[in-house]
Amino acid sequence: MSQDFPRDERPEGATAPEGTTFSRRHFLTSVGIAAGVVAAGVVPAALMAQSANAQDATATSSEPPVAPGASADPLAEIIAADGPANYPGHPVHYAKPAGKEKWAMVIDVRACVGCRKCVYACVEENNIGRNSGFTYIQVLEMEPGKIDLESAVLDYDEAGRPDKWYFPVQCMHCAHPPCVYGCPVQATWKEPDGIVLIDYNKCIGCRNCMITCPYGARHFNWVRPEVPAAEINPKVPLGEKAWTAEKCTFCVQRTRNGQTTACVEACPTGARKFGDLNDPNSDVAILLKTRRVWRLKEEYSTEPMIWYVG
Amino acid sequence: MAMTEPTTPQPGIKRFIKIDWNVGALKAASPRYWSWVGMLVIMTTLGVLAWVVVLTTGGNAMAQRDNFTWGMWFADYMFYVGLAAGGLVVYASVHLFGAEQFRPLSRLAVLMAGLLTMIALLGDLTDLVRVWRIFWFVVTPNISAIFVYTGSAAGFYMVLCFVDLWILVTGVGGEKLAFRMTLIALPVAIYLHTTTAFVLALNKSRELWNSAVMVPIFLTSAVASGVALLLICAYVLQHYHVLEFKKSMFRSLATLLATVIITDLFLLVVEIATVYWPTAAKAGHTLRFSEFMTGPYAVQFLPVLILGVIAFSLLAGRKTRHIPAIQITASALYVLAIFFKRYTLMSMGFAIGPLGQTQAPYIPSLVEALIAIGLLSMGMLFFTLAVKILPLRVPEEEHAEAGAWELAEATGEPVVEPGVAL
Ligand code: SF4
Ligand code: SF4
Repeated sequence: MSQDFPRDERPEGATAPEGTTFSRRHFLTSVGIAAGVVAAGVVPAALMAQSANAQDATATSSEPPVAPGASADPLAEIIAADGPANYPGHPVHYAKPAGKEKWAMVIDVRACVGCRKCVYACVEENNIGRNSGFTYIQVLEMEPGKIDLESAVLDYDEAGRPDKWYFPVQCMHCAHPPCVYGCPVQATWKEPDGIVLIDYNKCIGCRNCMITCPYGARHFNWVRPEVPAAEINPKVPLGEKAWTAEKCTFCVQRTRNGQTTACVEACPTGARKFGDLNDPNSDVAILLKTRRVWRLKEEYSTEPMIWYVG
Repeated sequence: MAMTEPTTPQPGIKRFIKIDWNVGALKAASPRYWSWVGMLVIMTTLGVLAWVVVLTTGGNAMAQRDNFTWGMWFADYMFYVGLAAGGLVVYASVHLFGAEQFRPLSRLAVLMAGLLTMIALLGDLTDLVRVWRIFWFVVTPNISAIFVYTGSAAGFYMVLCFVDLWILVTGVGGEKLAFRMTLIALPVAIYLHTTTAFVLALNKSRELWNSAVMVPIFLTSAVASGVALLLICAYVLQHYHVLEFKKSMFRSLATLLATVIITDLFLLVVEIATVYWPTAAKAGHTLRFSEFMTGPYAVQFLPVLILGVIAFSLLAGRKTRHIPAIQITASALYVLAIFFKRYTLMSMGFAIGPLGQTQAPYIPSLVEALIAIGLLSMGMLFFTLAVKILPLRVPEEEHAEAGAWELAEATGEPVVEPGVAL
């Protein structure tokens, strides 16, 4: 129910429950492959493309058409859905104002070896309390042949096992974020560039957002977070996070300053790509348009902004 | 309609906000009464101290963690809000449906509803580690957050109960106002129970909560436990000669209780069937529910079924239903069953987290337990004092007056929505 709230306009038909086919359909229309292939899904695809165009004529009018007859930007609908929610009109106090970007991430689970380098880099970059007992990124060791979270192992010891695959999960910066809808005091919101942030000075510590997030992405500072003085990142809040909820910020202190996220930088296999969906030449835009991608719990209609490929 | 003014005030009676407070009764109270009050004061104080520990050291003093995001306080919130339903049922029966046999209970019922909602709300507040920021709740409430609705409904309902109690005790506005208040209180109460159930039902992230049956089951559990608690309290107060009731009233209550219990159990079975039936079973659901049927959480959940069935069986027999011992035992068992149910409901959101990781059952820390016991003691303390000094006895003449008014008004009043099937 919560996804029905009107703060961020969702194009008609975007709730289609077909799950992962959603992104594939886009890929098909966009790249403009053989009409015969498109014909298989032509009716719903056409409907969706149409509504996306109608909604986003303004937002994406600068994009050049990808192929004759196809929609102007195959990602237009996704970009349009990723608008602000409960945004108070100014950026959260620890970040620069959002630019025109729509941030997204693509993670190649075939390349991920489960080494947790991203996890550690993130902890250091984001002043996560060394005593807090959580990390923003959780890497799951998965059984082959299925995306079965219930049989996944979170605290595995040995990385890189050939008989397993590895599945990094973190805040998805959902286009329709149940956490934002669930916060009773609007202490967390989605900024215009799609990043979901928390105002630590406003959070009342009720943990509703943790209850409503389907990805276990939010964590609570049950203790006052402590970081050795030499390792503190001055660009990221620390003390004010005590007794409030926190989570991945897409490294807002870096990404709004032209850098990429700490996890992307740290990944030794290049499994992580981060970028702007509005930029047709960004890794993420190209991957979404050319590869078969999927999202975790797509059937929840949260429209995550992290895709998986592999 | 003016109530009988006390022409010659008895000694020890103090009149304040139109209520005759029987302060003299406190002076005359037995040492046993005072030692009970003393114990409650100590427990309440311990609870306050425990809360101070939370406020000064942060949430770490609690056993709740990221994996068990909510704990004792939430189970208690559901439990107390549900118990408050007893007040609603009796109140509505008397003033809307003319169930005169419950009239002697009406003041007691409203008092209990108010106090229970109060401790439910306070429990909620003690859990907010940053509670002093609660003003944001009023300044920037989020209309899509269910907690805004249940929290404000609880606050409103609590105030409503105390206003109602005042109206009943002072007789201001007479039966007519009491009736009008019911017209407000009844929808608010249903709204409160529904929104509390919605905290669970409208959350797609927790599989076992995200079920529409949560709302009716919440109402039936609430009414059943509320009526059961009221029945117990009525017996206790009768024992101490605070109030007197007819045997027939207890029989009516017991029959009502049996009916609601079986409805409650039925809904639970329906839910279990949906989880396990092969054509409906979803791995995420069955796996999670199995934690409660056969897994480490079974000790929390199976008592719900076992105690429930025993309570119903005790009340099912027509020949034995009127025996006080049977009524009290069945009621106590069902209140306990509903406590287990609330606790399990809380656990159901966390037994297997959103990322599929199984969690060990949560047991409240000492601090959490002390807060919970402290709040309960506080509620009982207020109750103990109130039954002494508040005129909870419904005067005989009010029955006659009320009857007359109802006759006069019956034809003019609109049909009341049949929202609660009693
Ligand atoms: S992943 Fe969770 S915390 Fe992140 S935006 Fe989605 S619902 Fe919110
Ligand atoms: S914990 Fe903080 S951010 Fe999360 S719902 Fe509560 S107030 Fe909002």
